[in-house]
Amino acid sequence: MRDEQLTTVNAVPGASGVIDSADAVVTVRGLSKHYGDFVALDRLTFTLTAGTITGFLGPNGAGKTTTLRLLLGLAEPTAGEALVFGRRYRDLEQPTGMVGAVLESGDFDPGRSGRNHLRMLALATGIPYERAEELLNLVELGRAADRPVRTYSLGMRQRLGLAAALLGDPELLLLDEPANGLDPAGVHWLRGFLQQLAAGGRTILISSHVLAEVAQTVHSALIITSGRLAGQVQLDQLEDGARSLEAAYLELTGTMS
Amino acid sequence: MSHLVRSELLKQRTTRTTLLLLVWMTALILLVTLLHVLSLSSAHISSLDGQLKVVGWGTGIGALFAALLGAMSITSEFRHGTIRPTLLASPRRERVIAAKLLAGALTSLLVGLLAEALTAGIEAAGLAARGIHIHLGAADYLQLLAGGAAAAALFAAIGVGIGAVVRQQIGAVVGLCVWLLLIETTLIGNIPSAGKYAPGAAAGAIAGAIQTQSASQLVAPVLGVVLLVAYAAIAAAAGTLATTRRDVA
Repeated sequence: MRDEQLTTVNAVPGASGVIDSADAVVTVRGLSKHYGDFVALDRLTFTLTAGTITGFLGPNGAGKTTTLRLLLGLAEPTAGEALVFGRRYRDLEQPTGMVGAVLESGDFDPGRSGRNHLRMLALATGIPYERAEELLNLVELGRAADRPVRTYSLGMRQRLGLAAALLGDPELLLLDEPANGLDPAGVHWLRGFLQQLAAGGRTILISSHVLAEVAQTVHSALIITSGRLAGQVQLDQLEDGARSLEAAYLELTGTMS
Repeated sequence: MSHLVRSELLKQRTTRTTLLLLVWMTALILLVTLLHVLSLSSAHISSLDGQLKVVGWGTGIGALFAALLGAMSITSEFRHGTIRPTLLASPRRERVIAAKLLAGALTSLLVGLLAEALTAGIEAAGLAARGIHIHLGAADYLQLLAGGAAAAALFAAIGVGIGAVVRQQIGAVVGLCVWLLLIETTLIGNIPSAGKYAPGAAAGAIAGAIQTQSASQLVAPVLGVVLLVAYAAIAAAAGTLATTRRDVA
């Protein structure tokens, strides 16, 4: 799969010449989002092909979360398009069976138990409760499942978010800063978990501002800054994994003097 | 659609919000009804009209808490961010609002029933304790229970609509309380010719009684139903538009 990856557009700011192939799982084309005068995204273009794990890197405020929200149909683009499996998210017949997402905001009602959080989402999509139980065990929340989420640690919330994203057994996972706030053991667990998911042929996009975390998990990295694509890096083409990813990142985001 | 309604009903059951609303409602009804039935002069409370005005508190309080239940079913999702997983599971937003309208209305049938039954029961007990004859008949009680339940269901829809437009929990809750407890009471007290067409007064018309207002000053029950259905439809339409047209942060 690795050599089938998208066109490398190393250090081409605002690159727009990426051709989406037939098996594009994610297609972002000329995507812009303005909030009044503030330009959150500026003609962002990239594609993701099936079976790849891609890092979505950039400083805080670069537009990573905005891109994910547009892909998920939570917000409308000002211009351009954000497609999953060639269609807008809201036009998918069974969206949770195709796309799973963990958003950075950690969206739980603190008074509701983890089990009931999964059940309300399972009910809404016609997924049996057994699937929720299966996932509670998979993310090792079985024993805490009946406690209200307000008693959960950050790591437990991240795992509950992952379980919710996996309810429909989706082919594409969009993860917003999944390692945020995790302790080293949690980060280690997450890495193994993601690699296991990827081994099943899923396409995964992981946004992060922690390079070292992503370097060991992803095949390639999209680097964005100020709402524009700064470049794309193929990790297997770098000589020394994490360290040269850092150099590329600093160069592309212009944070290195 | 039915699985979305079931999801909404599960949401209602799985936080303490619904239970707390019911506890607060019961406490408020207990307080208000006892205060009136024990402190009003015999002259005031010995007539059918006086007794209707007291039992009418059940209509007003039931409608208020049904509206709060409806409003919180959506504002709590914005407050805690669960609106995002909710919309990911069901990206057709108009369906989510429709499910909230239905689930809110279903639960609020019980809320309205409970409010009216409590008020009627406490009033009857208070009157009996004071040795005052009860003028309310079976037909009055029947209209009170059935009408109060129906009015509460429609008020839940109004609450969902307002909650979807306002999004902010405190704003929606304060707005509904101020409207029903202050503005409507002032309106109907000072300009009854216009005030009787307001949503709360329409609920009173359906149930046959609302606090401080004689049935004779309210519109006919059928007109009350028409008015309240219209208000609920307008609120639901506004809430649907506001939800489908705006971004979710």
